[in-house]
Amino acid sequence: MSINSDGFGVSELPIDGVENGCSILLTGEDTDTLKSVFARLVAADDDERSIVLATNAGGSSIQRSLNDARTSAGSRASILTAEGPGRGDNVSSIDDVGDLTQVGMQFSTLVATSQQSTARFRSGIFLCSTIASEVEDTRSMFRFLNSNFLTELRRGDGIGVVAIDRSADIGTNVDSMISGMETSFKARIDVEKTGFNEAKLEISGLSGSDSTVDISL
Amino acid sequence: MTRTVLCVDDEKRISTVSAAIDAEENLSAIEATSVDDALETISETTIVGVVTSYNLPDGSGMDVIEAVREEIPQTPVVLFTDVSPAEIDTGSFEELLVEYLNRDLPDAEDRLGFIMNDVIDHSAQVGFLTPDDEDERLESLEQYDIEELPIEESFQRITDLITAQFDIAVAFVGLIEKDEENFLACTGADWDSLTREDTMCTHSMLQEDVMVVEDIANDKRFNKNEQLENLGIVSYAGANMTNSDGHVIGQVCALDHEAKTYTAEEKHQLEQFADTVMEILELRQSLRDARGLEVSQ
Repeated sequence: MSINSDGFGVSELPIDGVENGCSILLTGEDTDTLKSVFARLVAADDDERSIVLATNAGGSSIQRSLNDARTSAGSRASILTAEGPGRGDNVSSIDDVGDLTQVGMQFSTLVATSQQSTARFRSGIFLCSTIASEVEDTRSMFRFLNSNFLTELRRGDGIGVVAIDRSADIGTNVDSMISGMETSFKARIDVEKTGFNEAKLEISGLSGSDSTVDISL
Repeated sequence: MTRTVLCVDDEKRISTVSAAIDAEENLSAIEATSVDDALETISETTIVGVVTSYNLPDGSGMDVIEAVREEIPQTPVVLFTDVSPAEIDTGSFEELLVEYLNRDLPDAEDRLGFIMNDVIDHSAQVGFLTPDDEDERLESLEQYDIEELPIEESFQRITDLITAQFDIAVAFVGLIEKDEENFLACTGADWDSLTREDTMCTHSMLQEDVMVVEDIANDKRFNKNEQLENLGIVSYAGANMTNSDGHVIGQVCALDHEAKTYTAEEKHQLEQFADTVMEILELRQSLRDARGLEVSQ
């Protein structure tokens, strides 16, 4: 695997690496498949940390997925979860994912804290479609993405992944929203489950070439 | 150009905040020491950013942020406080969104100026997403001398045609600039400009194809938008004005006060109207450029 010195390697996916500052929109209709690909992109290497906002997965579930994707990556993650308790040093909880003011402050505090130990980070939101369905006004979700997620990527040394479940009821045309968001993100990966343990990825905007690849889950 | 930033804190600590802002060459602080004081300044003074403490003598920083979001929604706010996020009561302010800067950080005051410039430069708290090439797009938009080009009558004829073609109430040609959409021609309404995050076009411009919203009441992106409600918009179709540099600089739109569907053929027709508008704009600009060249020779 060859990536430039600033790039972020991706384990278990046929991707050469992700450039520093890259934002990835990850979409699909099967939550488990999305979670598996999300974890492979966000799992931190030795000199990095992951910061994950988990809207419908518990902290330990995300940690397990990260560990599956990369050895001990779960221990290099700070997780803010709306599901289950905030157990352990690296898992904190929020009561209401629709309270984006609180979520935003907690999330940026996690990024700032992680940057005190290492500058390199991978941030992720699993699932942004849950936020879209919880907020009253979708403009708040865009404001959240701008003021937290995209701002951290612009200022810091990291990559970010926003996962959207296309089958979610988000109170708007999900394909129209995704197609708008896609223009703002540097890359898009669409995930389709094709078999018991298999999936197809449609990748655009990464490594300068678009491609369709099959992966094992 | 100096940027005026409203600094809100109590009497004891306000000077530290305003000094941190004034330390930046292009920022100028204006002080308020209470929520009331801040609200008055927001309504009377043009400001491009706000930094507020959480604890204020007559309320909290969240009251200030709420007023900013109501009065000047695209203006970025930094909550500069030593109160931790968990202790901040956001229950009534769930969707305000703000940049949180922990005042206890050793370099907090140095970072404040940098962060304020960064959030202003990048419109970092707006309620819409921008294209990945937004800077180049805005640069591309600047090449048109809109005020000087004789385009209004041509565009007005086209918006008249659009309303007749689709049997709708309103049609317009709008340019999407950094913070607002400016209407170059409009049939069926008298609009000059709208704040960008209140427009549907800022979403439509991100899509390759014509964006249709048959009934905004069923679309959470738009159904809490008071501006759209006040304008009586129920259905929307928008086609991109894509210039020869490949940038989407504006929209040609069809609106109605009733729910409406558009066939594939109708969407194609709207695209053709948008292409025609773009062609007229580019031809007029080319003509002006050529004449300027002749004069200079």
